Amino acid sequence: MTIKHESQKIAENFYTFAVLLFLVQVLVGIVAAVQFIWPDFFILNFNTIRTLHINAMVVWLLVGMMGATYYVVPEESETDLWNVPLAKLQFWATVVAVTAVVVGYIIMGLNPQANSPVMGINPLNEGREYIEAPRWADVLIVISVLLFLFINFMTMLKTKKWTGIQGVLLGGLTVLALMYLPGMFYTKSMIKDQFWWWWVVHLWVEGAWEIIAGALLAFMLMKVTGVKREVVEKWMYIEVGLVMFTGILGTGHHYYWIGTPSYWLWVGGIFSSLEPVPLLVMVWDAFRTTRESRETTNKAGLYYTVSHAIFNFVGAGLWGVIHTLPQVNKWTHGTQITTAHGHLAFYGAYVLLVLAMIYVTLPAIRGVKEFNPSRALKSFWIMTISMVFIVLTITGAGMVQTYMERLMGLDYVAVKANYNLWFWILRAAFGVGFLYGVTLLVIDYFKLGKEKATA
Amino acid sequence: MSNKAARNLFIFGTLFFFIIFGALTIDTMGKLDKRAPEITEDVNAGKMAWHKYDCIGCHTILGNGSYFAPDLTKTAENKPKGYLKKFLMDPRAVNTKAAMPKLGISSDEADKLIAFLEWTSKIDTNGWPPKPILASAAGVGGKELTGGEKLYRSLGCSACHSINGIGGTSGPEITYVGDKRDKEWLTGHFKDPAKYVPNSAMPAYGNLSEKELSDLSDYMLALKQEVKK
Repeated sequence: MTIKHESQKIAENFYTFAVLLFLVQVLVGIVAAVQFIWPDFFILNFNTIRTLHINAMVVWLLVGMMGATYYVVPEESETDLWNVPLAKLQFWATVVAVTAVVVGYIIMGLNPQANSPVMGINPLNEGREYIEAPRWADVLIVISVLLFLFINFMTMLKTKKWTGIQGVLLGGLTVLALMYLPGMFYTKSMIKDQFWWWWVVHLWVEGAWEIIAGALLAFMLMKVTGVKREVVEKWMYIEVGLVMFTGILGTGHHYYWIGTPSYWLWVGGIFSSLEPVPLLVMVWDAFRTTRESRETTNKAGLYYTVSHAIFNFVGAGLWGVIHTLPQVNKWTHGTQITTAHGHLAFYGAYVLLVLAMIYVTLPAIRGVKEFNPSRALKSFWIMTISMVFIVLTITGAGMVQTYMERLMGLDYVAVKANYNLWFWILRAAFGVGFLYGVTLLVIDYFKLGKEKATA
Repeated sequence: MSNKAARNLFIFGTLFFFIIFGALTIDTMGKLDKRAPEITEDVNAGKMAWHKYDCIGCHTILGNGSYFAPDLTKTAENKPKGYLKKFLMDPRAVNTKAAMPKLGISSDEADKLIAFLEWTSKIDTNGWPPKPILASAAGVGGKELTGGEKLYRSLGCSACHSINGIGGTSGPEITYVGDKRDKEWLTGHFKDPAKYVPNSAMPAYGNLSEKELSDLSDYMLALKQEVKK
């Protein structure tokens, strides 16, 4: 495996930043898990730790997708990137901006008054879940994404080989950039605040990101199995089409209880119930394609690709659909059931996707003909098994909470502190297991191609 | 299906659904103001404070947020304002078991936050959160409630106190309060809690009649650990 175009190497910069942030995300995740048992553990309060946990995740997945795109576009366009120094600049600007935002969160965590509004704007933390990054950082993020889109678009223009994969990839990335904008203005009404906030959050993870995932899945299936482009691309269109047909109006399942009109109960209930369908098609697609061509030189890449399809369906699809009907959601909304869904969905749909892209493309970037996948597979199993158990413990906690707090009327604090205590302890323990898996992954990432391939 | 047909289905289907979504959004925006009270300066100032302290980093509101601490949508409806204010400014001074740290919320910010939470408690949320089935049903199984029991429920005492695990945890549990206190203490305490318990954040109920205070105290005295003979 070797790369065809020298500029594809830039993907590695993004991958390195991504896996390091992944490690940070899991470290702070364990702090957060311990704080569920012992709230005063650590110098930073839970809100700061959680902000770091979810922001590190969003950023590393996004950075990983950017790296993957810089790899895929030259390959599909059969030419070098339009402007490599500009792409390098975009990378380093992103690293600097992300670091500045993190420093801001920590300052605010140590001294909440530092976040007092300056000209009506909170300077360090916007205080809105997932999009905590302050306004000045929003602007930098938009500039970075636009620059990134521009570089890739100019690359495609060089040869004008409009393949389906890169068209869908670019389309998904454009939607991603556009859907960041509804989160960038202040509204006095908390209802409108949350309404537009869901445009960003839902239309990212269940819209733009799934389109990108569909395109990258098609690319990887083509690379690891050598199946024909026409077949892969046709199914890609069907998959991402179904994602959008169900996912756009599926946003309605977030508009049940936030003060919006009751017709959203119908719209959200019906369309979000259909959301698992395209994810199931992706599983079938991955199984069919990999069964047809059993010869593969990249076992780690294949594992990650297929498991991404499976856990995308299980985490985002099944764990979402169980509590998506209004009749059920009325009782489960705002409980740990949502946390469980969030963990497995992000792991399956996006963590495994980015890791799959790394394992499919990194050997070529490093010019490795063959590599020993044993450590990669070990870390895969440890991470996946740990995550499944993390999700099961949180699901258990969510069921107890739904029953005792929501149905019986026990106090929130009593349920959390007493009845769910063992679930929190087990969750933290499996979190440590997950950290072990991630550490192996990071070691493998840095060693890949730099040690002898002896099976 | 050809690749081109699949591609066109994807592009135009997506546009079609997005247009419907856009139309519903416009309709919703037109209806939102009627589904909640007017947003005053204080409510908005409270929302700003909500963002400043990153409250959503632990709590949920309208069910969305961090699941680490209680949902606050209906808090202003369930808890006395005096309690909330003291709690916001220094949580552990009024509830030693509170997980919430002292964030440096000023007296003015606490007032504004309470105004904001009063606003959220009045939003028409299509019936969320639903009333717990068992707590609503508890104590009405075919027997007439005593005057004290009726008062306990109508005054909303269970927002803070719990009996047999049902009720809040902001105030002390009172399952066996009858073992600990006598009638004189209870009646006097209802009139002026701070006189009996230093730093108490419980509101005073001096506005109740002597008959009502007596009924409520009798109910408290009935809350005893049953000794089997």
